Amino acid sequence: MSTATATIYSVDVPQPKQHGKPGGIMRRLNFFTGLAGGVILAAVFGFLMNIQFASGAQTADFASASAGPTFWAIMVGWVLGFMGGMGAFVGPIRWVMGRDLTHADAEFMAGKDQGKFRYWRFTTDHKVVGIQYLIMAMVILGFGGLLAMLIRTELGVTWAEVFNPDFYNSLVGTHGIAMIIAMIIVVSGPVGNFIIPLMCGARDMAFPRLNALSIWLLVCAVPPLILSLLVGGIRDGWSVYQPLNSQAGPGMIGYQTTIIVFAVSTAIASVNIMTTILTMRAKGMTWSRTPISIYGVFAAAAMGLYAFPFYQYSQILSMTDRLINTSFFDPVEGGSVWLYENLFWLLGHPEVYVILIPSTAIILELIPVFMRKPLFSYYMAIAGIVGVVGLSGLVWAHHMYMTGWAPQANYPFMLSTEMISIPVGFLVLVIIGTMWRGTFWSRLPMMAVFAVVFNKMIGGVTGIYLSDVPADQYFHGSMFVTAHFHYMLMGVALFGAMGGVAYYFPKWTGRYLDERMGSIGFWLAFIGFQITFGSMFVAGLQGQPRRVLQFDNLFNISNWISTIGAYTIGIAMLIFLGAIISSWRHGEMAPSNPWQAQTLDWQTATPVPLDNFPVLPVVKGLPYDYGVPDPLAPEKVEARLREEYEKAGTP
Amino acid sequence: MSSPVLSPTTGEPVSVVGRRNRIGLIFLIVVDFSGTMALIVSYCYLWSLNVNNGWAPNTPSLNSNNDVKGRSPLPWADDWPFWAILGLTVLATVILWLGIRSLRSGNRGGLVAASFVALLVTLVTIAMQWWQMATFPFGVENGAYASAVFLLTGSNMFNLLISAFILFGIVNRSREGLIATDNPWQARLAGYWMVWICAAILLGALCTTFLKESSNPTPENFGNFSLFNPDKPTPTPSPSPSASPSASPSPSAS
Repeated sequence: MSTATATIYSVDVPQPKQHGKPGGIMRRLNFFTGLAGGVILAAVFGFLMNIQFASGAQTADFASASAGPTFWAIMVGWVLGFMGGMGAFVGPIRWVMGRDLTHADAEFMAGKDQGKFRYWRFTTDHKVVGIQYLIMAMVILGFGGLLAMLIRTELGVTWAEVFNPDFYNSLVGTHGIAMIIAMIIVVSGPVGNFIIPLMCGARDMAFPRLNALSIWLLVCAVPPLILSLLVGGIRDGWSVYQPLNSQAGPGMIGYQTTIIVFAVSTAIASVNIMTTILTMRAKGMTWSRTPISIYGVFAAAAMGLYAFPFYQYSQILSMTDRLINTSFFDPVEGGSVWLYENLFWLLGHPEVYVILIPSTAIILELIPVFMRKPLFSYYMAIAGIVGVVGLSGLVWAHHMYMTGWAPQANYPFMLSTEMISIPVGFLVLVIIGTMWRGTFWSRLPMMAVFAVVFNKMIGGVTGIYLSDVPADQYFHGSMFVTAHFHYMLMGVALFGAMGGVAYYFPKWTGRYLDERMGSIGFWLAFIGFQITFGSMFVAGLQGQPRRVLQFDNLFNISNWISTIGAYTIGIAMLIFLGAIISSWRHGEMAPSNPWQAQTLDWQTATPVPLDNFPVLPVVKGLPYDYGVPDPLAPEKVEARLREEYEKAGTP
Repeated sequence: MSSPVLSPTTGEPVSVVGRRNRIGLIFLIVVDFSGTMALIVSYCYLWSLNVNNGWAPNTPSLNSNNDVKGRSPLPWADDWPFWAILGLTVLATVILWLGIRSLRSGNRGGLVAASFVALLVTLVTIAMQWWQMATFPFGVENGAYASAVFLLTGSNMFNLLISAFILFGIVNRSREGLIATDNPWQARLAGYWMVWICAAILLGALCTTFLKESSNPTPENFGNFSLFNPDKPTPTPSPSPSASPSASPSPSAS
């Protein structure tokens, strides 16, 4: 061992031998080498598979099912090549070889003094990863949103067929899974990675290299999904039930690759976030002094941890059924399509809460700041989050009421599904209780609270209908379902995320989000949203089936209105995106704590230094202690203040 | 009292980093457990249903429309290789833990030797796992049992390959002094991982040994879609009390 030392916070720490310049081979690797590695290895693997399975693969028609092995090899090559080219394997190899990182290596890996190029590297700094997540969420949202516009164009142009029905089905399936991925990461990614370590008072995430691995796996997972559109697409909705899954063209392999890689990314991110929260909270930050959004992100990570592997395995087993003739889902050979549905929905429903809980938690975080009041019934909020996590694993079969699987189980699942509205109701009560008889600081983040509460009410109430077995017999498979889950996933998660972006923008960028332009985009999106999905409820009540290209003239008016609403959302999102870009470049400069919030994330400088806090903070009070001890009794407060004034001789 | 060993990257005591890594590893094991449970659930689910009598390993002969005409049974997989693989993995785990124990008593060479032997045993286990997969008396396409067994053993193989990688690292790092008496965390974490691998292999071995013949020997009750069997007489629908006579279709109507 070398006797070299590095001074870390005034302590001399012995260092392992430095091999070359700090960073080693990582200095040469970045997104572009990853891209090159992915493309080259994909081509090589595809070529080799072509030789191996000449009869099946030597066809130019990639939409043909026989091209499956070749497309699979291309996907494997892409993943290995891209991640290798990014430098994802360097860490494990160095560990095995006993070449530990030095402090200088670690600082290089964290992006020290690398300017904007650090965003293109395998950078470990949680703030860089948080911004990368934000950008990726916006890119995937943009892609999914574009597909939504195409879908609404098809459904709005009722007098003609715009797209081939197969392509239309692909648009629906790809839009679905793209939006699900985007919604999962849109809060947990940027907030979980950028804000949560700051809020905990930590200097970084628990596992910085795993942090970089999770974001670059996500980047790696997206191209197969886009590519799948070119080779037959995903024609069976985002859930891609069996046996349609096995019967689809090789585009399905793109979907499966995306899900398998994304599940690994999510699992790693969940492990990282949970470990950070459990082990790196500041001294004095007891569980009763922990901000509610930390609970929310922790809950989402915990649900992802146990649930995502089931989804991942549903796709691994589907892939083996397709490629090596296993028979998990083939009834002729003893398989069962219900097995697929169970594995799928074992994630599929907890995933809804993986999306909703962080967004709701951000809303809970905003309200005390913009109303200068303590969070009403902090413990009820925690109970709500814990209740949702506890019940989330017991509700999956409500998606299968009408499939014929275990009809005897329908009523227990109906009960558990309706029970979950109780902890969700706790969260809504906490929101309303905190706002009760208060005055608010009318800024864009606070506007998101009203939008989310409104949407959550509508989404929640319509969800009760769908959880009910008899009612679901009518509503199942109709546009009513589509409208309901958009109210929950988009109405709560996306509008909550927009509020979160407006709130954290000064910490991320050092500038305020343009209030005027942002508000125009936000409210236009809200109006467009109500038009689109309110009208979709009507179509669903009239009986219009979802995922169907052609429909009766009866539904024309609803669809025209929905399409107008969808275009409104599209324009609004472009305006909001414009606000983000223009504010990022030359928005009004913000101080380090522009909202005078009390959580630790706002107590450090902006831009946040590489190690976040020069001296680790110690927490001595409650996160929402804004000076009003009992929000339900403002009269008492007024009386006490009057008393104090009188004592002081103030008229 | 000697000063604690510090992490070269963050300057924290390695015990702090080690405890943090232990939590992270436990969560990673939860992820792997969840994946393993997905396979175990799949195995048990298909075993319990025996859809179309297709659970047991067999070669079906099909009609042109993919209806099963007949099935030629194939042998089940032998039990002993599953348990032998488990035994070898347990042996590797015990050897590694003995090494960790000797490290605790100040003998780093003990860990080097133990982790090396554990690595060799794991490599033998991998070879045996490969041999087992290559010599099953059925192919991956011969029914649901065959599929489930191949995936379970494939999962074992994946976990064993990771174990070999980790053990190789432990051998190398303990030899270079990066794992030592005052910094034993990585070896201990490798030990935790090995214990989990034993549990995962045990779950698979229990399934493959004790859940062979399906509990549903008459799958026509559930699995072969007898409700839609055209050979069965269609039940006569009872007249609806709400239907008025005028609304009923007339038998003479064309």
